[in-house]
Amino acid sequence: MTEQTQPPVLAESLSALMDNQASELELQRLLKALDSDSELKSTWSRYQIASAGLKGDIPVLASSDFASRVSAAIEAEETYSAPAISDVAEQTSVAGSNVVAMPLRWWQQAGRVAVAASVAGAVILGVQQYQTPGANPADMAAGTMAAAPAPAVETKAANLPSGINAPALSARTVAVQSGYESRPQESRRVMFVPRQQVAPVYNEDVSSYVNQLIQEHTDNASLNSGQGMLPYTRVILVEED
Amino acid sequence: MLIPVLIRQFIRSSVTRFIPFVAIFPLTVLAQSDGLNSSAHSADAINTVAPMATQSPEVANLLRKMATIPHTLNYQGSFTYQHKDNPALQSFRIIHWVEDGVEHERLQHLNGPEREVLRTGKAIGCESLGDQLLQGKISQFGANLARMDQLYKFEIRGPERVAGREATALLALPLDQFRHSSLLTIDNETGLVLKSWLVDESARPLERYQFIDLDLSPEIENLREPKARLHRAATPQVADCNPTDAKQAERWNLVWVPPGFAFVGQRQVRNQIDMLMYTDGLTTFSVFIEEASGSIPEGVAQRGATLAVMDSLRHANKNYRITVVGEIPVVTAQKIAQNIAGI
Repeated sequence: MTEQTQPPVLAESLSALMDNQASELELQRLLKALDSDSELKSTWSRYQIASAGLKGDIPVLASSDFASRVSAAIEAEETYSAPAISDVAEQTSVAGSNVVAMPLRWWQQAGRVAVAASVAGAVILGVQQYQTPGANPADMAAGTMAAAPAPAVETKAANLPSGINAPALSARTVAVQSGYESRPQESRRVMFVPRQQVAPVYNEDVSSYVNQLIQEHTDNASLNSGQGMLPYTRVILVEED
Repeated sequence: MLIPVLIRQFIRSSVTRFIPFVAIFPLTVLAQSDGLNSSAHSADAINTVAPMATQSPEVANLLRKMATIPHTLNYQGSFTYQHKDNPALQSFRIIHWVEDGVEHERLQHLNGPEREVLRTGKAIGCESLGDQLLQGKISQFGANLARMDQLYKFEIRGPERVAGREATALLALPLDQFRHSSLLTIDNETGLVLKSWLVDESARPLERYQFIDLDLSPEIENLREPKARLHRAATPQVADCNPTDAKQAERWNLVWVPPGFAFVGQRQVRNQIDMLMYTDGLTTFSVFIEEASGSIPEGVAQRGATLAVMDSLRHANKNYRITVVGEIPVVTAQKIAQNIAGI
């Protein structure tokens, strides 16, 4: 039966290992424990995600206080006064209850897309969490904190590889060869975070409404911001116009 | 508002690798000052701003070039474009020429399906409010309007060569939290913005573009007809030319407007949606109000650099859907949306 609390000694060693400062003895002890202790593995995974997040290596909703939330979550765990987390879903929600995966920032993607360009098939690991469009707008507007993040977090947990592979969650390859359909869809996707919720949802009505308004707004932007026609690069042109 | 320590790590690690100008986002400068009196609001939605030192002549000259010369030129160029939500690097061709005193413009998508945006009909000499603000031509509006240097801290970062041409890099850092930062590299000869970064309050890039080449004597004859089957004609004008006085919106009143934004005009778009347009010279936003029945989604939507805050308003026993759209921070859009009243 797994222990409910992480032995402080092991956790400290784990933290030291993250900083490349673990001694031989600690390393041996950790390796032995990692073999059998799934809790330890999950803790390791969480440390990896948090550290990667701080370095900007994982896809995160880059709201301006994300970094402070991550560091706050790490601090909460290191004191070990909080109850131990016993399953992955809960763990990811502690570190990231307000974090929703978004596509990698493009300058991080650049290398990966180049590699993926030779792959003929669209593979998108489920990092982008969108609820199905079946959600009623009224429900979304009145949605509570509990309802929305739960599906997002669960799906994220389902895709979360355990252990040291955690940062690989961010891999997101998109085919270049698979035709035009996938690209325009992706680039016209509007991220919509309903009030009272923190997870973006995909809502077709909101998406197409906002895209139309962006088109109208661009008439203003292109005439009044000193950049000529350039703002029209933001406008999605689709057949139904 | 100070940038927390952890954001600095973001900047150093992620942005540093890819932007040669990491030095241009000094964090001390990004720490916003409270110099502007943003709490004093006048009812007519133009805020009084505390006067500050006048703008340096080099900056004023750059902005003036940016606002005036490109309208008069014939040019053709290609540029690349990226925004934060789409890792794909897109490329475009832009064409501009003047014929019979009227501007003709084309923006063509160079990758993906052929698509094009055309714009024809803006007369030379018809300056928009945004162009006037960039040049500091605000005296006709009275003391109410802010000069650009009261809204942004401008810094010339030095000469830069882009698309094989000599240009000057100009950094525009907002002096309040209500707009984004930009780095504009302005061509010395033509005033065209050859390279641009739009960066948010966390020093995260929202969008960027960069010209690869620029031809100042294009063959116009081949360019007249739109090439792409799918094309859209854009409006050449949204408001009066060369506005001479501050206008007011009809039917709606923005009780709070971020400091320095001036009302451009109002029009109706699509199915009777009222559109109120605002600019501060570099940043723009538009407010869309339409009568709505049924449930109105509320929240924050975004795509790339553009943000849309959706809200609802009840006025005269009817429900209205409000959408504030612009390349502005979410705090700005939310505050605007929450402070709209019907007249």
